[in-house]
Amino acid sequence: MLSFYRWLLYLYPLGYRREYTDEMISVFRDAQADARAESLSARISFRARETWGLLVGAMHEHICVICGSHRSISLTRFDMRSEFRFPRSTVLLMSIIFGGVILAMEKANTIQVKYAAGAGSIWPSLPWFLGLTLLSACVIVLLIWGILFALGRSGTHRLANIQPCPNRTE
Amino acid sequence: MESLPLTEPVLFVLLSLAEQPRHGYSILKDVERMSDGRVRLSTGTLYGALRRLLDGAWIERVEEDESPRDRRPYRLTSRGRRNLQLEVERMRHLTKLAAVRIARKEA
Repeated sequence: MLSFYRWLLYLYPLGYRREYTDEMISVFRDAQADARAESLSARISFRARETWGLLVGAMHEHICVICGSHRSISLTRFDMRSEFRFPRSTVLLMSIIFGGVILAMEKANTIQVKYAAGAGSIWPSLPWFLGLTLLSACVIVLLIWGILFALGRSGTHRLANIQPCPNRTE
Repeated sequence: MESLPLTEPVLFVLLSLAEQPRHGYSILKDVERMSDGRVRLSTGTLYGALRRLLDGAWIERVEEDESPRDRRPYRLTSRGRRNLQLEVERMRHLTKLAAVRIARKEA
């Protein structure tokens, strides 16, 4: 888990890593030692919490770098909801979407059987469809990450700090 | 004040530092203890909060020669303490208001 944790830390911006990596690893090591004495479910929960915390944290830090300032990001409920609430709603939302997709596929198959009289199904098979969906989701996430990274490297965020030129009338 | 109300994790971190300076792991355990195990911060959440609090000058690092780099303590600044008091005052007012409204409804 520690090597995975170290790997996840690479998702953070360089400046953040220089400043906090040693501390975070040290704290994680101590917390992991505590978690070892707990039940299996507590250990799984610990790993999920840490992974989720790093993923959200890294994304947040990149957004801060692109936006140019951490001061614009407040400490209020808007941007720092407890990480315990989000996964539950995410899982629920994903389940609803997944159920909707399955129902739509069933409906499509029924319509096709009814009107195309024995032609092959619309989707080759469910595993293929799920695999393709997962692959598409990964590609989209990678693209978004790449765009954010490229924007950060290009220095676009510094545009927010540019002062307007004085009016040279004289 | 525009930065209030605070989130629960940030409030717990500030309360933890209000008592005495602490390093990351000590904050983590103290938050867990204060909330009776209900709030368990991940290191990502904790250091995200600490970074924002540092940037806002609500907390500062305690510079000690003998403390190792991976165990640097943090403490509240006067600004952080003032903001924490404001938040507690806001919550106290809210609790009082809620008690009055509930009592009125029951009556």
